[in-house]
Amino acid sequence: MTNSINEFDDADLFFVIGSNTTAQHPLIGSRIINAVENGAKLILFDPREIPLAQFATLHFKQNLGTDVAVLNGIMNIIIQEDLCDRLYVESRTEGFEDLKKLVTRYTPKAVEQITGIRASELYRAAVMYAQADKAMIVYAMGITQHITGTDNVKTLANLAMLTGHVGRPSTGVNPLRGQNNVQGACDMGGLPGVFTGYQRVNDPATVKKFEDAWGVTELNTKPGLTITGMINAAHQGSLKAIYVMGENPLTSDPDITHVEHALSNLEFLVVQDIFLSETASLADVVLPAASFAEKEGTYVNTERRVQLARAAVPPPGLARPDWVIIAELCGRLGLAADYGGPAEVLKEINALTPSYKGITHARLSSGHGLQWPCPNENHPGTEYLHREQFTKGKGSFLPCDFKPAAETPDDEYDFILTTGRVYYHFHTGTMTRRIDILEREAPEPLVEINPEDAKKLGIRNSDTVELESRRGSIRLKAEVTPRVPKRVLFTTFHFREAPVNRLTNSAFDPVAEIPEYKVCAARIRRCP
Amino acid sequence: MKLVAKKDVVHVLEAWSKDYSILAPSLRENGDCVFDAFDASMFTIEYRKPPMPPKSSYLPQNESIFSVENGTFTPVIHHEKTMLFGIRACDLTGIRQARSFYSRDVDDVYHRSHAEDTLIVVHACSWPQNETCFCTTVHSGPYAQEGFDIQLFDMGTDFLVESGSDAGRFLITQEPFRDFDVDDAAERLSRVKHMAHNSIPIVAEVVDAMEVLKGAGANEGVWEHFGRKCITCGGCVYVCPTCTCFNVVDRVTAEGSGERMRTWDTCLYAGFTREASGHNPRPSQASRLKRRHEHKLVHFNPVDNQGALCGCVGCGRCSDYCPVHIGTLEVVKAIADHIY
Repeated sequence: MTNSINEFDDADLFFVIGSNTTAQHPLIGSRIINAVENGAKLILFDPREIPLAQFATLHFKQNLGTDVAVLNGIMNIIIQEDLCDRLYVESRTEGFEDLKKLVTRYTPKAVEQITGIRASELYRAAVMYAQADKAMIVYAMGITQHITGTDNVKTLANLAMLTGHVGRPSTGVNPLRGQNNVQGACDMGGLPGVFTGYQRVNDPATVKKFEDAWGVTELNTKPGLTITGMINAAHQGSLKAIYVMGENPLTSDPDITHVEHALSNLEFLVVQDIFLSETASLADVVLPAASFAEKEGTYVNTERRVQLARAAVPPPGLARPDWVIIAELCGRLGLAADYGGPAEVLKEINALTPSYKGITHARLSSGHGLQWPCPNENHPGTEYLHREQFTKGKGSFLPCDFKPAAETPDDEYDFILTTGRVYYHFHTGTMTRRIDILEREAPEPLVEINPEDAKKLGIRNSDTVELESRRGSIRLKAEVTPRVPKRVLFTTFHFREAPVNRLTNSAFDPVAEIPEYKVCAARIRRCP
Repeated sequence: MKLVAKKDVVHVLEAWSKDYSILAPSLRENGDCVFDAFDASMFTIEYRKPPMPPKSSYLPQNESIFSVENGTFTPVIHHEKTMLFGIRACDLTGIRQARSFYSRDVDDVYHRSHAEDTLIVVHACSWPQNETCFCTTVHSGPYAQEGFDIQLFDMGTDFLVESGSDAGRFLITQEPFRDFDVDDAAERLSRVKHMAHNSIPIVAEVVDAMEVLKGAGANEGVWEHFGRKCITCGGCVYVCPTCTCFNVVDRVTAEGSGERMRTWDTCLYAGFTREASGHNPRPSQASRLKRRHEHKLVHFNPVDNQGALCGCVGCGRCSDYCPVHIGTLEVVKAIADHIY
């Protein structure tokens, strides 16, 4: 997030796209509800009637996978109506002419044809967003889980820069991070091409710094593979071993049948987890890890806040904190990694990561966390990013053209299947499906279908249906509800009984390599 | 009546901790204050309303109630001499209401055993803990009338110490407790109580809302308004001293072995009332919120009130913590003022 969570309270307008906020980030959702009750406006883009829709000033149900066209259409209106922040565009950005040239083609009429949003309605959204003083864009997986995920994000950034809506309090672009520490994992280099703090693995000065710190030479300077890349490489046989930590790709990755083939093709699979997940069941070695309550360390939340957590109870049996397991493994591989504890690990992070330099163990112990960038020990942390200039100096407009989803409905597979989550379960349910009350609240997989479609197909509420794509089929119960638009089916990936990722498409974004979980073609029929 | 110097309290607790497992206010390094196992180095006597009521001492968040080993059943009844040090009068009322409920029709042996093992030291409030306190409206504070073992009143550098049971009287016989033998002791105590009472404003809407609910009921719009924005976190139930509903589940460890647990539950979750057929008599969040608030304000059993006005003890925590402001104070205002 470029802003902080507290800044939601003072925003004048929220532009929420691809985020079922009250279900997936309920405390942030509650900030939006409170702000709307106090007079803020809410422009919502979501094909489904999500709970936040009841609070929306404007709610648009765009056709799935057409976000770039929606946003380019809005920018075109803003430019045509001369509502852009000219001073901001001139002083802080570059590439405006290219953007203007591209979005000119996105006339309200053309956009209506692609997205299904009426031209006059889009006009209202454009004017409302451009004229707001403090406007926050909020997005989540509905933006990123597309083959155009990177284009979607760039286009949102274009929109914010065009209107000067980034770099002030309660004004910015805010991807809501889903897991308690996904931000931390990325910050710590859990990505193929970077060390901690997004320092590139192919930058010679950075490589030298890490080599010196670790007492090694010739660190690999080639970016590694993404998850989707690893699965494909394993499938082809060029990748021999995978070490999975706290992830359950056999349920969470798209096209599971393909994942199964890939994992069984490996010579060696190691899984480190707190429970025996579906993926761990296939592993040659399972390393039992300590859970959040059984270890000390830091988490980084969605507002870039690093927070210290302490162990409440000791880990059971042979389970150990992840850092201990990794350090021991390093030792056996011949690299001494004898840290005395999480505080010493953080000390190394402080020394090697400029944005984390001031986030010390002592400061975290005596407060409620620090937000990076925090370049020295006297720095209070950073509430919002891009205050006077962007990280790279001037912000570049990166115009993108609309591209359709990889798989769109046809005569054979005539519905769009989109996937997401419910309030009560987390991802593949390795943890939440063991919690009795959560399991009681959401005990079984359901596929949402619009009443008109259901009627045509003779499907009634709670009927068992077969849901099928080109890659596989699952059986589950139908929930007949106007929450989904016509010709769209929605279900979740929490349930191993009906793993929807047998159906999803493994086509992925060319840059981030994130799979297109949000759109694939499917068909549905009632089981006799 | 006795006196004890505030600065001596930590030493008193050190001595008592030989016989009791003590829960006391504890100041963390980061400035948070919570009730936790007594540790002299973190103990503080300067604290505000703790985030959680002490109900988990009687009804743990998760509790094993019996175990089965190879088909043989063994009840699990925990015994540990416990002291709750420094709880507030509203929270004591919450404990007493739950105690009444858990013993009225059925003798809940688990709840009773915790109660029998627990000694209560109340720290009477001299002023409101924050702006959401309304104990004087529902007659649950600011000081306890009965049900405590020891009660402390703030007299500046000293606490005036009142005992409410033989166990309490015994504990304060020795040094550093000293007699408070001035002629006007009773008068001074009454003055302190009076000032405390007057410092906490009466919230007339609570009584007004109770009247509305007793009569025609609140406008459905009230419940729809709150139901629409409730994010179903259940936080109000967690922090409520008088919400003591539980769910019962079995944890199977092996074929024929396992344990039966009871865990906190909340009527704000749909599954709480969903029937086996799938039918739910409380089908919407609005209807579930209505149920919860009506239970506190009108559909309580007066026997359980233990001197209080209703099933809410006025601690104000739901109003402190609800992320979308659906606390009792907001609800009674909406009902009494006919806002929706």
